[in-house]
Amino acid sequence: MNLRIAWRNLWRNRKRTLITVSLIALSVSLAVFMRSFQEGSYAKMIENAIGNFTGYVQVHQKDYWGDRSIDNGIDVSDSLINTILSTKDVEGVNLRLESFALASHNVSTKGALIMGIVPKAGDEMLNIKSKIIKGDYITDSDKSIIIGSKLANFLDIDVSDTLVLLGQGHWGQSAVGAYSVKGIVKMPIATLDRRIIFMPLSLAQEYYSFPDGVTSIVVRFSDSNETRSITKELNSKLDTTMYRAIAWQDMSPEMVQQIESDRISGIFMLGILYMIIAFGVFGTVLMMTEERKKEYAVMISIGMQKTKLITISFYETIIMNLFGVIVGVLIAIPLVVYFHYYPIVMTGQAAKSIEKLGIEPVMPTILSSQIILNQVFVIISISLVAFIYPLTAIFKLNVIKAMKR
Amino acid sequence: MIIETKNLHKTYTETEVEVKAVNGIDLSFEEGEFTAIVGPSGCGKTTFLNLLGGLDAPTSGSVSIDGTDISSLTSKQMIDFRLNNIGFVFQAYNLIPVLTAKENAEFIMQLQNRPKEERESRIAELFKAIGIEGKENIKPGRLSGGQQQRVAVARALASKPKFILADEPTANLDSKATAELLDIMHELNRQERITFIFATHDKRVIDRAERVITLEDGKVVSDIAGAQ
Repeated sequence: MNLRIAWRNLWRNRKRTLITVSLIALSVSLAVFMRSFQEGSYAKMIENAIGNFTGYVQVHQKDYWGDRSIDNGIDVSDSLINTILSTKDVEGVNLRLESFALASHNVSTKGALIMGIVPKAGDEMLNIKSKIIKGDYITDSDKSIIIGSKLANFLDIDVSDTLVLLGQGHWGQSAVGAYSVKGIVKMPIATLDRRIIFMPLSLAQEYYSFPDGVTSIVVRFSDSNETRSITKELNSKLDTTMYRAIAWQDMSPEMVQQIESDRISGIFMLGILYMIIAFGVFGTVLMMTEERKKEYAVMISIGMQKTKLITISFYETIIMNLFGVIVGVLIAIPLVVYFHYYPIVMTGQAAKSIEKLGIEPVMPTILSSQIILNQVFVIISISLVAFIYPLTAIFKLNVIKAMKR
Repeated sequence: MIIETKNLHKTYTETEVEVKAVNGIDLSFEEGEFTAIVGPSGCGKTTFLNLLGGLDAPTSGSVSIDGTDISSLTSKQMIDFRLNNIGFVFQAYNLIPVLTAKENAEFIMQLQNRPKEERESRIAELFKAIGIEGKENIKPGRLSGGQQQRVAVARALASKPKFILADEPTANLDSKATAELLDIMHELNRQERITFIFATHDKRVIDRAERVITLEDGKVVSDIAGAQ
């Protein structure tokens, strides 16, 4: 009976209920849509800058991240690799040997970042082949290198030319070598393009006099949400007196901060939107309560307990809000799904600036049930706060006064 | 005796002037009475009725119903007491607009968790008695004033309360509807021995009452039994 009365009460003033439901539905769909775009952009940014470059988790020698010197590298052993691969959800590893060297050609010299990679595995992750603008990609047995296009431009070097590298090898040995340029790659991150040199891992180990040595082991897995748990599990399995697994959030705290500050500004905007909804919902609940105080008084006088009246009022508030949420979610879902598979492609100057950051100029939405659940939670919370008004009004109701209305 | 008031007072002090709406009333009502409480506007009729129904608390004195001093009941207990013992008929009908005539009439029985079969048969019996058969599924807004008041009477009678308090039940009705409603209430009063107490200044009700109590300034100035 309570539910029946609540349902019919909602439709006593059809227009008002529909306006409130529409307000909630519109806001929820907007909120789901906005948040899905926002989180989708972050995911894309992380995928581009982290997933496709540093990886979500790396394993290093325990002091490496504090002092990124080749002297803090690791002698790779089968047992270390097997320990990493035996961790739940880990699909593979990419070995890297990274350090610095002076790169010289003719009269030009510049500091360069040398990255020794396993060519096949490295390409699968970094997608270097597709970024080569001149020449070819390296193979395991090559004694040649690939150079960033901006660095090549600075050094005035071309494919088949020889580049001289001068640096410091493992434990202070000098590292000197001359390598033929096999290809020129255009890296999307400009700062990287200005200094990157890729070479086969074995060649880098030879150059730095660090046989079997690497500086980073990139851990590959498919679900980036598992980053923290995999890092934790790796650290529990590894000999932490020698090694340390580190998550991308700790490797790139500036990106985490950038995302967090942007996320907060988005949530602040949503907060304003929800404030407007809250006032709308509260206005409706207030009117529904005020205009029915006499009716409440009659029901109490003929024998209805206040708790039952409160239950009816609770049903009214919850039904109205849930109805709005359901309609809003039903509007948002097709849009979110569409823009997930067909993201907005940015063009012009905006696209160029985004590309400079090494991020694809596309804005996809993310498919996340959590975003929808959060909106449901917010609307239910607004309903519960709004419900305080009828709750107190019914409890404090003076039957005699209300009957005179 | 089902209702007894002893030295009943109700004083309002909300304004600067103290208003003694009920000023020392001692009365008793027996089972099956058909009583009118009359008097000019502001004489305390409605306040007295509210005190009898436990809708308002006396400033002093007591109201006991079947030996229960209702002022000793908590608010929750009082609501349950009203549910099981008292029926109300209001001047403005006060039906629940979202419920049909039948749902309104069986509302109290539903609150009492009476079985569906009992509710169905009681409502059918009452709707026949009050002459609104066929209107069961119509909402109050589409019924005439007289029909709404009949539904209100059915609602009050449905659970067979000990007594019914009716505050100006005929004030909004024309002569024909009033006469019909009074006939119905009188008939049910006789058949079911339910006590009716009216607060009214409608001569048509007073003429049908078996006892007429006149109030003035919150006091009983006359109490005439066998008035009809």
